[in-house]
Amino acid sequence: MFTRRNAIRLLLFAAFALLALGYVPESCRRWSVALPALSPLLSLGGACASGAFSLLTLAALPLLVLPLFLGRFFCWNLCPMGFLAQTVSRLNKRNAGLIRKVPSVGHVLAVVIVASALAGYPLLIWADPLCIFNGFFAAWRHPFAAASAVTAIGFIGILLASLVAPNIWCQRLCPLGGLEDVISQARTLRKPPKDAAALAENVRLRRRTFLSFFGGYFTAYAYGLFDKKAQRAHLIRPPGAHSRGFNALCARCGNCIKACPYNLIVPDLGSSDIDGLFTPTLKFRSQNPEQEQFCFQTCTACTHVCPTGAIRALKTEEKLQTAIGVAHIDKKKCIAWEKGEYCVVCQEFCPYQAVLEEDHKNVKCPTVDERKCRGCGACESQCPAQPIAIVVEGLNPQPHIATPAPSLKSQLNP
Amino acid sequence: MRSMRRRSFLKNTVSAAAVSSLPASLALAQSSGVSPSAKVVVVHGKDLAKMLDAGIAKLGGWGAFIKPAMRVTIKPNIAWSSAPEQGANTHPSLVKACVLAAEAHGAAKISIPENTCHPEKQTFKLSGVEEALKGTKAKLYRPAKDDYQKVEIAKGKTVKTANVPKDIVACDCLINMPVAKCHSATGLTLSMKNWMGSVSNEDRRGWHRDGLHQCIADFSTFIKPKLIVIDASRILLTKGPQGPGELGHPDEIILSTDPVAADAYAATLFKKEPFDIGYIKLAHEMGIGCGDLKLIHIERIEA
Repeated sequence: MFTRRNAIRLLLFAAFALLALGYVPESCRRWSVALPALSPLLSLGGACASGAFSLLTLAALPLLVLPLFLGRFFCWNLCPMGFLAQTVSRLNKRNAGLIRKVPSVGHVLAVVIVASALAGYPLLIWADPLCIFNGFFAAWRHPFAAASAVTAIGFIGILLASLVAPNIWCQRLCPLGGLEDVISQARTLRKPPKDAAALAENVRLRRRTFLSFFGGYFTAYAYGLFDKKAQRAHLIRPPGAHSRGFNALCARCGNCIKACPYNLIVPDLGSSDIDGLFTPTLKFRSQNPEQEQFCFQTCTACTHVCPTGAIRALKTEEKLQTAIGVAHIDKKKCIAWEKGEYCVVCQEFCPYQAVLEEDHKNVKCPTVDERKCRGCGACESQCPAQPIAIVVEGLNPQPHIATPAPSLKSQLNP
Repeated sequence: MRSMRRRSFLKNTVSAAAVSSLPASLALAQSSGVSPSAKVVVVHGKDLAKMLDAGIAKLGGWGAFIKPAMRVTIKPNIAWSSAPEQGANTHPSLVKACVLAAEAHGAAKISIPENTCHPEKQTFKLSGVEEALKGTKAKLYRPAKDDYQKVEIAKGKTVKTANVPKDIVACDCLINMPVAKCHSATGLTLSMKNWMGSVSNEDRRGWHRDGLHQCIADFSTFIKPKLIVIDASRILLTKGPQGPGELGHPDEIILSTDPVAADAYAATLFKKEPFDIGYIKLAHEMGIGCGDLKLIHIERIEA
């Protein structure tokens, strides 16, 4: 058991786990994106769909090139999820042969993801093992919450499956493994098969790849038509969120959730659509009574950690001019409008001077200037009314706010 | 121990004739016809550290406030992630000068608990206070849940209890060091309003619901700072409390041991009648201090 190879794998696993957990120096936080970005399905697939090619996209290169020379070297030697799945598989010696009857779903998944990404809506990228691994560990950094635990479903699922049918994940189901396989098969394409059986196998493989590709492409195309038509619920997305097909593009890796210094981002538990399950959404105080923070003006933490480009990297200046939502005042609940109290806490807290005052029975009452409101939730974070009278509604697409943010001097480079 | 300190403190300040506490004002009132019942020292100048020392000298010197081994707590206003020159927070040089003086006079512990409005990391950094306090023994922090203590406000009309940082409740010398600026809800934020940056967020929201001015006055029946220093080196005239807005430059600091008197004078910098500010009027009526400008002795000095 304790060979040198296993020891190295264990160390790698620990390093990846620490990275995913976020227990790294503050200056290296952004590197936590590196693990899921290693998967071409996420970084390259995401970039194809979102059009947001960046330096991060290059992280896909090693796993695209490596299989051309070494086959599934990554799977058997480096992959942290594979290490766990293979270790657990060893516990069950009786069912070792069980997977022979299982078709290689992983190949189909890989081709479907690639094809659908080309169609603009990468379906099923959340099945990527590096993403599942990252999401699981990301979930444990915050105080335990049911919402965080759900993102661990895939992780636990893989381990359970490996226990019941050893090696089923790595050899049959894993889309990243499937991709590595498909690429390494390209090596053998030039060599003509020697016998009839191999030829038949080759034809079967090609037919399956062809069918999965077009199946994936057209499903994604149809999904896109539905996505454009559907009346989406107004979730508040992280700043820089891709306006089209966010639910498909998001891999649920948990990076943005983990990156938010104010714990504002949580996985959505189906409050919008079924395909939006576990996608990141911001919950301000009206949806989370414990929450007294808001999306701070100059913070762009969540925008720099998305491996798929579902959230575009924003410069501070861009963030300051992006509205993730807009605040609405319910005058019936507002203590200034309704009870004549001296309040306007919303105006006091608004970093963008987007809350205006109106005289009503000699008391200052708040109104929202929608041309300035960025939906940051500062107003909502301290509204004294019970229930809260000023609430942010998410906007998709996220409008560009032309009015510059006040006090740029103090806002930049905190 | 504590009562001894308090007594010696009282003796010192009374001898400096600088307090509005009952015996002093009575003594003064008896000696002449119309006599001031509170004293405010206004120091004009550019160097905040010098100004602070000059002002304190007029109130009996630092020895009247800080004795060796005392636990000193300072309450500046550091609510917003805003640069010193924008006037939303107490100037870092003033906070630093006060901390250095406390150290020089042998304070055992210097605490600066501040329930910031913006995230504390950015706020402490951008306000310049964190940097200014480097190398001193002052502890600047945002109180966590466990740092609070529930206190009774026996004389409060509306506010009966409040959650206050322990370092504010259990200290030997409490110094209130607000910045003077305009405020969306209360008109002006001065020394008494500054305590809203100490109490818990839940209290803060409650005060807005229950009549803000009365709640601010109520809390001042409980909280008894030994010294009030209002930073009016630059004052935010519009868009307060967060700013940025138009600035005025009185180049003053205002020192007193009477919070109501200090606030009353500071209001005049904004060309406002003190009693037009609800909490100043209520505090005056409740006997917390003297807000009547006619009864306040204002001593102006240059530094």
